[in-house]
Formats: sequence, C-alpha cells, structure tokens
Amino acid sequence: MRHAAKTPIGLALAAVLALGTVACGDSSSGGAGGQSGSGPQIGIDLPRADSDFWNSYTKYVPKFADEYDINLMSPTNSQNDVSKLVANVQAMVSQGAKAIVMAPQDTGAIASTLGNLESRKIPVVSVDTRPDKGKVFMVVRADNRAYGQKACEFLGEKLGGKGKVIEFQGSLSSINGRDRSEAFAECMKTKFPGITIFEEPTEWEGAKAAAALQTRLAQHPDINGVYMQAGGVFLAPTLQVLRSKNLLVPPTDPKHIFIVSNDGIPQEFEAIRKGEIDATVSQPADLYAKWALYYAKAAAEGKTFQAGPTDHDSTIIDIDNGLEDQLAAPLVTKENVDDPALWGNQIGK
Amino acid sequence: MTGTETIAKPPRTGGTRPGGGRLPLARLRDFALVPAILLLVVVGALIDPVFLSAANITNVLQQQTELALLVLAEAIILIAGKFDLSLESTIGLAPALAVALVIPAASNGLGTELPAGLAIGLCLLTGLAIGAFNGLLILRFKLSAFIVTLGMLIVLRGLQIGITGGQNLFDIPPSVLYLGSAVWLGVPASIWISGSLFVLGIVALGYFRHGRSVYAIGGNTDAARAAGIRTDRVVWVVLMIGGLLAALAGLLMTGRLGSVAAAQGDGMIFTVFAAAVIGGISLDGGKGTLFGALCGVVVLGLINNILTLAGVSAQWIQAIYGAIILVALILARLTSGKAQD
Repeated sequence: MRHAAKTPIGLALAAVLALGTVACGDSSSGGAGGQSGSGPQIGIDLPRADSDFWNSYTKYVPKFADEYDINLMSPTNSQNDVSKLVANVQAMVSQGAKAIVMAPQDTGAIASTLGNLESRKIPVVSVDTRPDKGKVFMVVRADNRAYGQKACEFLGEKLGGKGKVIEFQGSLSSINGRDRSEAFAECMKTKFPGITIFEEPTEWEGAKAAAALQTRLAQHPDINGVYMQAGGVFLAPTLQVLRSKNLLVPPTDPKHIFIVSNDGIPQEFEAIRKGEIDATVSQPADLYAKWALYYAKAAAEGKTFQAGPTDHDSTIIDIDNGLEDQLAAPLVTKENVDDPALWGNQIGK
Repeated sequence: MTGTETIAKPPRTGGTRPGGGRLPLARLRDFALVPAILLLVVVGALIDPVFLSAANITNVLQQQTELALLVLAEAIILIAGKFDLSLESTIGLAPALAVALVIPAASNGLGTELPAGLAIGLCLLTGLAIGAFNGLLILRFKLSAFIVTLGMLIVLRGLQIGITGGQNLFDIPPSVLYLGSAVWLGVPASIWISGSLFVLGIVALGYFRHGRSVYAIGGNTDAARAAGIRTDRVVWVVLMIGGLLAALAGLLMTGRLGSVAAAQGDGMIFTVFAAAVIGGISLDGGKGTLFGALCGVVVLGLINNILTLAGVSAQWIQAIYGAIILVALILARLTSGKAQD
C-alpha cells in the first residue's frame, strides 16, 4: 500500500505510453485502401496479417482496385478469427457495402453471416476457401487438389516410383489442407504404390514439422522425398534440419532428398535456384486479388456467370451454394523459376 | 541487510514446508512423474526400437529445450505466486526485434542495420525489458498479473507483426543461428544450455537465500514481507529473469528452425502450463519444484515423439495426446498420494 499515492500518476503515464505505441503502429501500417474509384462500394476483409502469402495478397488488392476502377472501402483485417470477421462484415454493411470480398478461414462458422448477407441481397466473393454452407456469388480459389496431384506426380517421377516420402500436412480442419492431403494420397496410391508415405499433422506449425522430420529421419534414415503443404511455414525449419544432418546436397548426389513445396513465395524460388528444394506449386496471390475484385464488381453491377471454362485459363464449377472459379496454379521447377509472371518474382519490384 | 537476514529465516522453513517431519513426503512429490516417464520409455521402446537410439533421444531433448526454458521461467514465476502469460509472445518478439534491427530492409528488416554481433544482446535485452515492464505494471501499479500479462501477450504479438510486417524473417545472421544449431561434445548446445540453467535454478531455489525467499513470497506474501524479505524486489527480479529466459528460448528456437516465424510461440503458453502443472507446480504459488517441472517437460516430449513414431492418424492425434496427459496426471496422483492443486 506504500505506493498507493503514486498509482494514479503512474497509471496515467502507462496509458499515455500505450497510446503513443498505438499511434506509432497506426501511422506506419496505413497505406492500403481508401476510396478511389466510382460506382457501388465494395468492402473487403483480409484474413490475417501474419503470413507471407496473405501479405502479398494484401499488397495486390489496391493495385487491382485501381485497375478495375473500384470504389473500394478501407480493408478490414479479421486476424484469423471468425468472430472478428463477422463484426467487420456487419460494419461494412452498415457503411453501405454493395458487395463483400472475404476469405473465411473457418469455413463452417461463417454460414449464418452468409445467410444474413443473402437476405440483404449483398453478394459475397470468398477467396481461397469455400464456405461449407451459405450462399456465395463466387469462390475464387486455386484448385488445391491439383497441388497435391502435381506434388505427387513430380515426386513420383523423380524418385522413380519407389522410396519413402514424408508429408507435412496442414490442418485437417481447413479445406485447403484436406484437399491437398487427399489428392496427394490418392495419386500416390494409384500411380506410385511403391512409395511409402509418412503423413505428419502439423497444424501449419513449422516447429511441429521440424520435430516430425527429425524423428522420422532417426527412424528411417533412407527417406528421400519431402512434400510440404506450405512453404511459408515449413521451408526454413525443413532446410535447417536437413542442413544439421548434412543432407542438403545437390540433386546429382544419390543422398539428395527431393522436396516439393506449395505456396510460391520468393524464399522458395531462392531455394530452388540454389538446388536446396526441387519444386513448388505457386499459389496465385495476384490472381486471387484480381479475380476476387473483378467478380465483386461484376456482382454489384448485377452481372451473372455460368459454369464452364473461362477466358483466363481456368474453369468455373458449380458448387452447392454458388459457383467456384478454380484458378490454375503452376508448378515451378529449376526450368521456369525465373519466369517474371510468377507472383513470387514480382514482390518488392 | 544483516538485520533482515536473521529475520528472514523463519518463513524459509516455516512458510514452505510446514513441519520438518513431512519433508520426505514433499520430496517424494518431486519424483511423482518418474514412474510415468519410465512407463513411456517402455512403451516407446516396444513401439519402435529406434526410440531408444541416441539420435532419437537427442532429438526429443533438443525439441523440448525451448519449452523447457519457458517452463523454467513460468515455474519460478508461479512459485512466487504470480503469472506470466506473455512468455509465449516474448519468445517470438525478442528474436524478431533483434533480427529486424540487424538485417537489411530488403529482407523485411527495419533498415537500421546494426552490427550483427549485437543481435544476441539485443534479443536478451528485449526479454529483460519486457519482464521489467510486466513487473512495473504488476508491482508498482498493483494490476492483476493475469490480466497484465494477457494484455502483454496480445501487445507483444501485435508488435512483432507490426515490426516485421507479418512476414517470416528468413535472413538470419549466423550469430543468432549459432546457439540453436551448434553441437558441443556431440550434444546440441541448446541441451547443454537448458540443462545447466535447470541445474542452476534447482540449486538456487533449493539452497540459496534469495531462491528460498521466492517460495516464502508465493506461500504467504504478507508473512514474507513481515519477515523482512523485500518481496516486490524479489518478484520483480523473478519476472525479469522470466523475460530473459523466454528471449533465450526464442534464440534457441530461431536457431533450430532457421527463421523467425510471425507466429513463433503462438499458443505455446498452454503447453507451458500443462508441463508445469503436470510437474507438480501449484497455480496458487509457493509449491512445487523445478525438477518436477522438468519432468513435466520430458513427459510431454516423450508423448509427442512416441505418437510420431507410432504413426498415429492425423485426425486422432490431438485426442490421444490430451488423453495421455490426463493419464500422466492420474499416475502422478496415485504415486505421490497427495491431492493436486
């Protein structure tokens, strides 16, 4: 109780300090968004700010909004939390959004919000994930099954149809992780039955992947392939483990472990150039932003779309609660890693 | 100071272990998890002979070093009767800030490009400062430790994302990677570091005056203060040590994983508490030993390793992991014969 007298002043000081910090954060993180174009207002919620992929997506949003002359509201960020997403959507609706772009990471819990938006006649474009229930105007998403498929075919070919492969699965509660895991397992089973697969659940955590890899290498020192479902989180830990065991050797060495990744971030391209990993599937961050905004604008203007092939090298398919434009995701290897069209090569230029 | 020394004696023995005669029972509590560990070792060996290989055991220990340091920090803080939830954010922010200050802006750094040699010092200093700030809020302003550190958990994670722009930092200077990836005398350096810090902690808390006073404060702060212990100062130092250990854990993790992930340490505090409580640390303060906490860490590590070796299906791994933790708790309860709190 000795310090009781000092406390109010101290608290005030602490509050000022805290406010100062917040203000700093604000001024440095601004930039994206703001009203630019004409026409109906379009709201966008970004799913998270802590992954390389989504940060690139975030950077592409204002660019394509300018290109399509869209009246974009300031983007909100739901920090991977569905309750924040719901609150953000409500705010956008009350501010007069005529169409909403979102990327619900929890595909089940968004259903009632989608129902609500449908009753208000506000079309929704869902990026990267396909909501389990609830009406969506369009899902813009890479064909995640193709990721698993391409990774399997590449590894199977390089290993000559036999060997042991360790697979870092994402989270099984996300549709993207599930699609990749299922397609990979299915393809391996039918096309390369001689390859043994070790499926490691990681919840998208690099530390768990590194632990699983260490353990598996102790158990099976002859592992010769790795499939990681997200380069952003698994790349550095995997390389670090292999480096410590002196297993990072060029593809010509018989001890080489073939590694296929998913994401297409610049660090993966760098690793491909150095010969540390062999391939990745580039998830098109630029196309996500581009087509999400395109469809959102079209929806607000009352246009409609049909299932079938599109003019941009993809296919629109019918899903129960709307349509889905399945964008192509290219396999990147040493041969095409310098292709300037890949989004990973455009970052920071 | 000489005056306080003599008065400090009574709570040292009286406050923590009422009645000298019950001392053997209290000691037994330390070893409550040893049967569980032995059982896990047997199960592991039956599932796969690789389990007992030196390489595998080294892996298990190395993977647990960062958790061990956080548990060490949390255990001391819990014994002192306080909480620190922000440790899981410190383990990410401290190395992220240090690395961001030394790497060029092109690699997502802050552009200050300080000499790389300063990185380790900056990292540890950040941890120390976070602990000191926690202490300021908790001890000076008399705010609840639980809420303060919960707030800090969010603020520190937010600062890390703000500073790095949410990017993983890949371009890590070799000096920062060293501790987490070096091998000394055939054993990873991180194991040596965590092991010796635990020994240091056990000796300090068990036999030294300041260490014993931590128990006295956690058991009964007023009695400890009446006995002449400078309670606030000791707790403050404990909180700073906690931040320092979390920062060191962050260095080890960065070295082991080769990058600072934006979510480094996210959600880890649950595991930290699980290990501490399984190891017999009381959430009410004043009870438990660091050896017990260390056993808790080892148990969790062994379970993880065994589940991986056994190839448990992805859908079931969390349920089984949780169930085994409960079994370990029950086993500890049965062998120690004492009610848990």
